Amino acid sequence: MKIIQSTIKNAEVYLSLFFILFGGVIFWQASNMHYYSEFGPGPGLLPLWTSGFIIFLAIANIVKSVKLNKDSTSLAKIFPKGTGLVNLLACVVGLALYITIVKYIGFTISGILMLTILFSRGYKWYWALGLSILVTGILFWLFVLTLGVPLPLNSFGW
Amino acid sequence: MESLGYLLQGFETAITWWNLLYCLIGVTFGMFVGVLPGLGPTAGIALLLPMTFGMEPVSSVIMLAGIYYGAMYGGTITSVLINTPGESASLMTCLDGYPLAKQGRAGTALGVAGIGSFIGGTIAIIGLMILGPAIAKQALKFGPPEYFALVVVGLSLVIGLLGKSLIKGLIAALFGLTLAFVGMDPVTATVRFAFGQENLADGFSFISIAMGMFGLSELFINAEENLKAKGERPPKIQNMLPRREEWNPVLKSIFRGSFLGFILGLVPGTNSVIPTILSYSLEKKIAKDPSRFGKGALEGVAGPETANNAYSGGALIPLFTLGIPSSPAVAVLLGAFIIHGLTPGPTLMQKNPQFVWGVIASMFIGNLILLIMNLPMANLWARITMVPFKLLLPIIFIVTAVGSFSINNSLFDVGAMLIFGIIGYFMKKMEFPVGPVILTFVLGKIMESSLLKSLTMFSGKFYMFFQRPISATLLIIAIATIVISLSLEFKNKKIGGEVEI
Repeated sequence: MKIIQSTIKNAEVYLSLFFILFGGVIFWQASNMHYYSEFGPGPGLLPLWTSGFIIFLAIANIVKSVKLNKDSTSLAKIFPKGTGLVNLLACVVGLALYITIVKYIGFTISGILMLTILFSRGYKWYWALGLSILVTGILFWLFVLTLGVPLPLNSFGW
Repeated sequence: MESLGYLLQGFETAITWWNLLYCLIGVTFGMFVGVLPGLGPTAGIALLLPMTFGMEPVSSVIMLAGIYYGAMYGGTITSVLINTPGESASLMTCLDGYPLAKQGRAGTALGVAGIGSFIGGTIAIIGLMILGPAIAKQALKFGPPEYFALVVVGLSLVIGLLGKSLIKGLIAALFGLTLAFVGMDPVTATVRFAFGQENLADGFSFISIAMGMFGLSELFINAEENLKAKGERPPKIQNMLPRREEWNPVLKSIFRGSFLGFILGLVPGTNSVIPTILSYSLEKKIAKDPSRFGKGALEGVAGPETANNAYSGGALIPLFTLGIPSSPAVAVLLGAFIIHGLTPGPTLMQKNPQFVWGVIASMFIGNLILLIMNLPMANLWARITMVPFKLLLPIIFIVTAVGSFSINNSLFDVGAMLIFGIIGYFMKKMEFPVGPVILTFVLGKIMESSLLKSLTMFSGKFYMFFQRPISATLLIIAIATIVISLSLEFKNKKIGGEVEI
């Protein structure tokens, strides 16, 4: 019972499970490809071996981490809490939002939105908005107008 | 003599006003990312890469290489002043640099580090100039089996030297290797693991993985821990030079560090932390009074700082001559070569001498610029540590998003970067090394095509690798490395094992 409880609370188990899942998908797909072809080794040869080793090593890592049961790898220690968690979520959500909307509303507006979310973690909203407009403006000038880097723009060209 | 002629031609390319400007931008940005804890040379090069698209290849690589060796200088400043290494190669500098700062000798520690870095960097460039053409000439004789064996040596060293746990290091290395297989198979052109996604038909973008695993994951960790942190006011820096009686031992340490760093730079799969640890251990071992180390010994700063700069010069030799990156930062540099239509490898020096020697010449100039920046301008750099992270983080974030998009004009790449950033964040939190993911991703592509070509040549008979002297020797070295790594793992003795690149 104690082992099951410590296993559930062990963050390394979950990361290892991710690697097992990743290795499993690759292994399953690779096993449907030719191991050997008429030209020599087939497209499935190397992926089959590497994914197989990933699965094996990830299982070994689960066994090792459960056996060691280190406090430093407990979910409570690994997963952020409070302000740290909000900061982290602001980064992930800000970037995910940018990726989702940039092709519809263009770089400048989506850039300002993402930056406002990020700056607002450290500054008052009006400072966050002002800084976001300033930084996006500078980047638009630098990348689009000066360096000619093609960015997703709206119908107004920004 | 031939090299000297080429080098003079290289200077002709490097001292044009625009290349000098790009060199200055590169080393300044490198110093900047080196000074900022959390952003190393790998993320720094990846960040500026999109800006180089419209530039000439030589100017672009001059700038990006400047970031690489500039970061090595920058990392020292925070190690000495606030006991926080700007990048992992400066970790050993904290041990004696910070005690020196507490004794009011921060200036001397930075001065010695600056002089050592300049001498180490210059010796490595001279080594690159002498050894590069000779190695490239030999490498022209390499066929697919020799390339495969060489990459296997690199991979075995990656596994053996990184991270706290061999199992975690192996998982990370195999993860990167498997990611390299996504996309078209080099022999049969079968599209693998694309799951019907057109974006994956050519595989993952290298920049998405590098920026996600190194840049974004580090930003996530910093956002979680340091967003409200206020920059510590650094002590005033004065008296940059050592006392008269200190010059002799310091110079000896510098020359030992140069040699050690340069040699280790030649070995694919090492990282810049290893020469610094070995140099520190060596200095401590041969010192008349080892008890001074850890309390403010100048040799403890001079040796490791020189070694990491000599390493970065030496590490460019496998890239220029064999097309094999020796560290994640060099792997990103390799990505830059490919984006600009250059193929690193033995033919690069023959086909593009103006490019190679222009870059080498610019490194001499860059080292000189860095020496000037480090000695009289050290106080100015120290103040950068006071810039609040809550201001820097969003700016770095949006530049990362723009950079990742502009490689292929693909939002899919930005999404992939976010996913790899999240994976990298959890890997770092659970002490899985992320360096091997990048290295094996790059080496995996070279390894797969050379293995498949070799096995086709050998009609599938693997033992024939051992019938060719070079490939046999290299494979035996790789096997020995793996065996030694495994035995060290069981005995829990690893060189550089506590430090991740």
